[in-house]
Amino acid sequence: MSTLDERLVGPLPVRDRPDTHDRKRRPRLPYLLIAPAILVSVAVLGYPLVRVIILSFQKWGLAQIFSNASPPFVGLENYSRILSDGVFWTVLVRTLVLTAVMVVASMVVGVLVALLMERVAAWVRGAMTFSLIMAWAVPSFVSTQIFAWMTEQNFGVLNYILGLGQHNWYADSRQGLTVATLIVVWGAVPFITVTTYAALTQVPQELVEAARLDGAGGRQVFFAITLPSIRPVLLIVTALSIIWDFSVFNQIWILRNGVPAPDYQTLAIYAYTQAYSSHEYGYASAVAVVTVLLLLAVMVVYIRQLVRSGETE
Amino acid sequence: MKSRIGYSVLGLLVAVVWIFPVYWMASTAFKPGPDMYAATPQLVPLHPTLANFRTVLDDDSFWTAARNTLLATVLTVAVTMIVAFGSAVAVARFQFAGRRSFLLSILIMKMVPSIALVIPIFLTLGKLGLVDGVGGLVVAYLAFALPFAVWALRGFVIGVPRDLEEAAMIDGCTQIQAFRRVTLPLIVPGLVATSIFTMILAWNEYLITYFLISSPNKYTLPLWLTHFIGTEGTSFGPLMAGATIIATPVAIFFMFIQRNLARGLTAGAVRG
Repeated sequence: MSTLDERLVGPLPVRDRPDTHDRKRRPRLPYLLIAPAILVSVAVLGYPLVRVIILSFQKWGLAQIFSNASPPFVGLENYSRILSDGVFWTVLVRTLVLTAVMVVASMVVGVLVALLMERVAAWVRGAMTFSLIMAWAVPSFVSTQIFAWMTEQNFGVLNYILGLGQHNWYADSRQGLTVATLIVVWGAVPFITVTTYAALTQVPQELVEAARLDGAGGRQVFFAITLPSIRPVLLIVTALSIIWDFSVFNQIWILRNGVPAPDYQTLAIYAYTQAYSSHEYGYASAVAVVTVLLLLAVMVVYIRQLVRSGETE
Repeated sequence: MKSRIGYSVLGLLVAVVWIFPVYWMASTAFKPGPDMYAATPQLVPLHPTLANFRTVLDDDSFWTAARNTLLATVLTVAVTMIVAFGSAVAVARFQFAGRRSFLLSILIMKMVPSIALVIPIFLTLGKLGLVDGVGGLVVAYLAFALPFAVWALRGFVIGVPRDLEEAAMIDGCTQIQAFRRVTLPLIVPGLVATSIFTMILAWNEYLITYFLISSPNKYTLPLWLTHFIGTEGTSFGPLMAGATIIATPVAIFFMFIQRNLARGLTAGAVRG
């Protein structure tokens, strides 16, 4: 059984080998096998993706929903509206800051907890794993409701623990978004910790011992051996975290009961409300396209890392 | 060894912090109204009651939502697994022109945020009259379930050494027989794990569902739960009981496939 660690840190135990024999005898079989997946993904993914790009060049509002006339193309109007839309820029900056804080916080805490797991007694590690997996299993729409209850103004347990009296966490969007960040970090750390811990257990112990014999201290061992060994895993996890946190939705949307005030909006929520409440489907599509374009660089890093690990061989 | 004790204490603290919200959900669910709103929160329910659970289970809208969720989830898993299996085998076991492009497009599709898909899916399903119903949800769920399932399943197929198949072929099996008798039984755990992953993804979907569904009798459980917020303020007791009921099957299945989690990890699998 190949485990995560082997799959990420070392070469795959089994790689696909070109099999010219099969190729000659049954050249059509693999194509028949992938045909259903291609058909379905073209329908449910390919077509929507093309359509969202086309939509972003169209004027698509309520009027177009109720008429059969095809929506007019407006060229770059939606995009030039984005550029001149002050709200968009505010939302973009907020999204970037929020993503940075969420990713850095979850990565730092996640990796530190993984390192801690290596150093604790076995039964404590068991307790930590259990607790993290439980937290991981909680869907974000549920965890957001739990945190909403814990931060409730009058009876929330958080105000009691922190001795804040009847503090309203949502009057100031910075505090409200801090709660959203806590929910995201709480939900992300189990994933990051378990993955990183699995990578840590694969760090070659001979190297660590050899370095120790040569007189390297704990810090030196960490930076010279541990970190380089787990670097591919950290890269992948960071890339995934950026992609997830940049398009964060549930934690803010549900926390604000489905009506996030303007100063709570991130790019995903802004695009969503533009479509859902304002029925500005063309403009919302343009914002969604920009969101994906901004993520493209991170996606490239993620995919390149997977390719390098031999995942696509 | 003093530092080890220090680390262990810190580790326990981490365990407590991460389990606390889950505990708080469950313990609130068992508290009667007055205790829930006590000035000093009760760490342990002093007068445990099932009243909150009864409120949820007596609510017809809960059962309607449960039925819709179950139906959407089962259909999504079934279609996804049938469609994904063949291509997972193809990319794991065959070398063919376009294989790499296929894999790369699966990876790219897996990364597309839902926000880019929800608007065109909504408009298209609207034209087809499929919006606001379980059928439309299944179509929409396939968009994220399929690339994920292909990627995850492929990992499981690769995990079965090809040598085993080759040995069977030396013993006289045809390639199809070798696959069916040797590899297939070994992939069953992978099939189960991938089904469960897909199930959890569909069970938890919120963003697309919220956009597509407008009639309360078409709500799924996530929507039902977030519509607990009434005009008179939220009743947190039944809300936490409902949350406990919805999260429990997910948690059980999650524990069940926990060992396989590692495989799904880099596939960008379940994260809340």
